[in-house]
Amino acid sequence: MMQRVWALALVTCKEGIRDRSLYGIFLFALFVLGLNIAVAGFFMRDLGKVTVDMNLAALSFAGLLLVFFICINLMAKDIDKKTIHLVLSKPFSRAEYIWGKYFGLLLVVLFAQVIVLLFSCGTVAYVHGMYPNYFAGFHWPVFFIAAFFIYLQQALLCAIVVFFSSITSTSFITLIFSIASYIVGVSLEEVVFYLRTQAASQDVVASLQLQRTLETVSWLVPNFAAFDFKIEAAHGLALEWSRLAMTCGYGISYIIVLLVLASIIFKRREFN
Amino acid sequence: MSQIILNSLCKSYSPGLFKKRIQAVDGLSLKVSSGSVYGLVGPNGAGKSTTIRMLLNLIRPDRGEVTINDQSVASGDFLHDVGYLPENPYLYDHLTLRELLQFAGRACGMSSSPFSSRTQELTSQTGIAHALSRKLRTFSKGMRQRAGLCFALLHDPGLVVLDEPMSGLDPLGRKMVCDLILDLKQQGKTIFFCSHILSDTERLCDQIAILHQGRLIREFSIEDIKSFRAGERCLEDEFVAAVGLGSGQRGSIK
Repeated sequence: MMQRVWALALVTCKEGIRDRSLYGIFLFALFVLGLNIAVAGFFMRDLGKVTVDMNLAALSFAGLLLVFFICINLMAKDIDKKTIHLVLSKPFSRAEYIWGKYFGLLLVVLFAQVIVLLFSCGTVAYVHGMYPNYFAGFHWPVFFIAAFFIYLQQALLCAIVVFFSSITSTSFITLIFSIASYIVGVSLEEVVFYLRTQAASQDVVASLQLQRTLETVSWLVPNFAAFDFKIEAAHGLALEWSRLAMTCGYGISYIIVLLVLASIIFKRREFN
Repeated sequence: MSQIILNSLCKSYSPGLFKKRIQAVDGLSLKVSSGSVYGLVGPNGAGKSTTIRMLLNLIRPDRGEVTINDQSVASGDFLHDVGYLPENPYLYDHLTLRELLQFAGRACGMSSSPFSSRTQELTSQTGIAHALSRKLRTFSKGMRQRAGLCFALLHDPGLVVLDEPMSGLDPLGRKMVCDLILDLKQQGKTIFFCSHILSDTERLCDQIAILHQGRLIREFSIEDIKSFRAGERCLEDEFVAAVGLGSGQRGSIK
């Protein structure tokens, strides 16, 4: 089983990293990192924080572009162009197909993230070398932990892409649902928190029904904000291991649930 | 023993909301004997590809059952011994032919030694050995078809399912496919294929069936086929007569 999953993951990864759109994403990331060096001097005392924040934001945004455009395309192309007929004529179970594709997407994202991270490290090291006094609280380990959680966030987003690809028949609908899930996942924590604090101070701004709906949605949609450690990396704040482990467990659990659901749905699906 | 049995298969599709369902296959029953070449012919939209997809468990029949060696295809166990070439195969663009075949080999659990010899043998036989390191997006339509054949046959399957194998091939390519099918037949493989090219079907098959509007309207035995080959009768005439009548008197001819 693992041999087949690995074979499909490898093929998916090769297809992804040879896609020319990837060069565009690299160029964009390089532009942001170059911009960071060019404008670093304008930020005075916050220079260290802005540099770290901008680098992690570039890493995150490059990853999002990759997932939304290349990964969705890698999933959808198989079905649109009927390559899946060829693949499923080999002894693949539908679940093996889902896991193989997912691991392939993870490898593509890992490849791209490692390259952007290398450039990013170069940028941070360069600015750090130019203005060492403004990087007093900066720690490389926290920076790498923040980068790892950006990767985990994108791994979760890949699982969402695979899940929606197993339900929908076109890449456009997968794209819309995935972007919507991301936006809701990033912002819902703050909205729910705001509503709770308003309700606690009895300054009610939303109906009880809406509050309950949002609470329910917050249980369904993964909280992408939980993977954001940019502030800690920028300010050099200490991270608790328990929080890191909880966030890891949260992300991995969500990924497993989404892929199991996708496998069940995919098993029932027909390929005309 | 029959290797493939299609028993009263029915399949319909919904073309969209508020539209009448289309009956793609309607009560199709046939038997393909082990080691024979079975050709399914029919006009466009007759339900040939739908039948093949049900055979490979890519779609499920609304009613009826498909069995291969007395086992239902729903289990998926039969796939270890099946090679499939779809009509106009779309292969992974950015892979080289070697990488595509490596994928097929790994998926079928082949070890490196038989993989190398089989790759060499098949690519030479199909005339694309020179293109092993080329990316598939640079392949012409005919070369893609040949690559698809190599992909299907790499693990030396006992059952070969080909959907329009001559599609997009030049005369040399068509001859190559015909020779390949005859070679597979000699090795005792069971071959099930769909084609529009009646002369090739007549030449290659042990059994031929005409599918029209989802129904099997005519089946020819080996004796019929021998008479086609001897020039006593013509498959094309039989086909035109059956399909022409089939359009008017659907389901009444057998």
